[in-house]
Amino acid sequence: MSENSFSLGTIIGRSNIVSNNVLRSLTVFIILFATIIMTVGFPDSPQQAVSDNRAFVVFLLLITVIYGAKLYFNYEKIVSTTDIFLIISLGLFLWELLLGKLALLDSFIFPGPAKVFIVFQTDTQRMTEGVVNSLSILFSGYFLALALAIPIGLYAGWKKRLFDVVYPISKTVSPIPATVYLPYSIVLLPTFRASSIFLIFIGAFWPILVGSINGVFSIDPRLINSARSLDLSDYQMIRKILLPAALPSIFSGAMIGLILSFITLTVAEMIAATSGLGWYIEYYHQFANYDKVIAGMILMIAVVIVIMNIFDRIQKHFLRWHPAYGEGENSAS
Amino acid sequence: MSIGNGEFTSLIGPSGCGKSTIIDVISGLRPPSEGSVLIDGGRVKGPGTDRGTVFQDYSLFPWMTTFENICFAIEHTKNAGERKEIEKTAQKFLELVGLGKFKNAYPNTLSGGMRQRASIARMFSMDPKVFLMDEPFGALDSLNRIYMQDLLLHLWSEGEQRKTVLFVTHDIDEALLLSDRVAIMTPSPGRIKEIIKVPFPRPRLRKDLSIDPNYLTLKSHLLSVLYGEAVEEAKKQEDELKRVV
Repeated sequence: MSENSFSLGTIIGRSNIVSNNVLRSLTVFIILFATIIMTVGFPDSPQQAVSDNRAFVVFLLLITVIYGAKLYFNYEKIVSTTDIFLIISLGLFLWELLLGKLALLDSFIFPGPAKVFIVFQTDTQRMTEGVVNSLSILFSGYFLALALAIPIGLYAGWKKRLFDVVYPISKTVSPIPATVYLPYSIVLLPTFRASSIFLIFIGAFWPILVGSINGVFSIDPRLINSARSLDLSDYQMIRKILLPAALPSIFSGAMIGLILSFITLTVAEMIAATSGLGWYIEYYHQFANYDKVIAGMILMIAVVIVIMNIFDRIQKHFLRWHPAYGEGENSAS
Repeated sequence: MSIGNGEFTSLIGPSGCGKSTIIDVISGLRPPSEGSVLIDGGRVKGPGTDRGTVFQDYSLFPWMTTFENICFAIEHTKNAGERKEIEKTAQKFLELVGLGKFKNAYPNTLSGGMRQRASIARMFSMDPKVFLMDEPFGALDSLNRIYMQDLLLHLWSEGEQRKTVLFVTHDIDEALLLSDRVAIMTPSPGRIKEIIKVPFPRPRLRKDLSIDPNYLTLKSHLLSVLYGEAVEEAKKQEDELKRVV
């Protein structure tokens, strides 16, 4: 009897958890749909009105689809996904309600969502150009930094004498923001593109270098001994042992490098560019066109989210052997 | 001290007496402070693949699967064949130690016993002249340890030509079960105090050994040598302390 009531209790408990999750994710969907209905069904306040608010509706539908896909493909993470999307959907709802419909704040500085999202529709070409330009500069500089900093870092971590020189220098130089070199790089290099690539390279180089050196330095000496007992050449040692062993630390350096490159690029664009994401925001700021400033900010956030996602995936793939990143025992067999 | 071809010798002694240092010197990872190591009359100048080493729990590289680990080791031996041949050998030895199903598993996803089995498969697959084993079963639980000892003995005596083995341990039973000779080391300065021949015929059975009176005498002799050393050492330290105070 007692056993029965116990199992009954667990079943109820489980269904409670399930219904709780369902209820919470339902809330997200309800908020999103309420926002869509409000956008379509009710007129914007006169100051916030634009000819066409379909762009915002499309965006809301996109968010709904992304959330649905996340639930479908990654059900284990339902709690954290729902939390994040609850914040996003609530924010969009309040934005539409308080600014779009009621215009509680100055509509010039705080545009409603319809006003902002129509920019994506009317200014598509300039925005795409901006993203392409920014990313091509970002990745040229960043990959250059990766290609140079990792080999140098591995070699410097391995050879004591080189380490004694390189490590103190890189620790001293790495905190200096790369934009410090902006005046000179603009004077000395022929184009804005070249000088931005150079700045991003400098900004990303030091953290990746420090990450690589630290990575080699913190390898378990017993693993090194095991490798040495195989009588490897220096190249084999660096390529097959030091590089993979230092990879977790290299990745954390590369992450910091990526963030710094993005900041450097945006600042450089705001100061001296004629195209790109940072330029887009700065340019329309000068015209006091806050619709486009906010649209540019949203675009930048979207780009950052995509890049960081790709970075995470790459990291997870390369560190699949690592207990902190691997997918557990089942993936092995 | 010299070790004959195809002989299984154990090195036993309290921790800190330099057993692992001897393994390091023979494997060429560090130079001897005096004297030299000769293998087949040739002086050891550095690490080489004519000696295969199994360490306590870090012989395998965690970023390679067990299969890749073994292939990588074979590739670096002097008489490595073609890629296909290497993979065949690796597969064979993985199956010999019962890890055929786990060839694509990363070491971190395996248990300690399985990792050591893979390390031993790696050592055998490299086909070195000399096996150096530094407390290879020290981190295993007693059941796994028994299984691994039997596996090692089995693989070692199966081969067409028995390998020369230097086996470091602090377990007397393990040393007596596995070896032809047992060398006892004393701490500070680390010296070999006594070398004892283990007379029991092979194949040895754990069950028979444990009731053999000769085995018990040998064991108690080893114990008294080791224990006497330990007591002496403690006394010395005590005297030292008194003198200082």
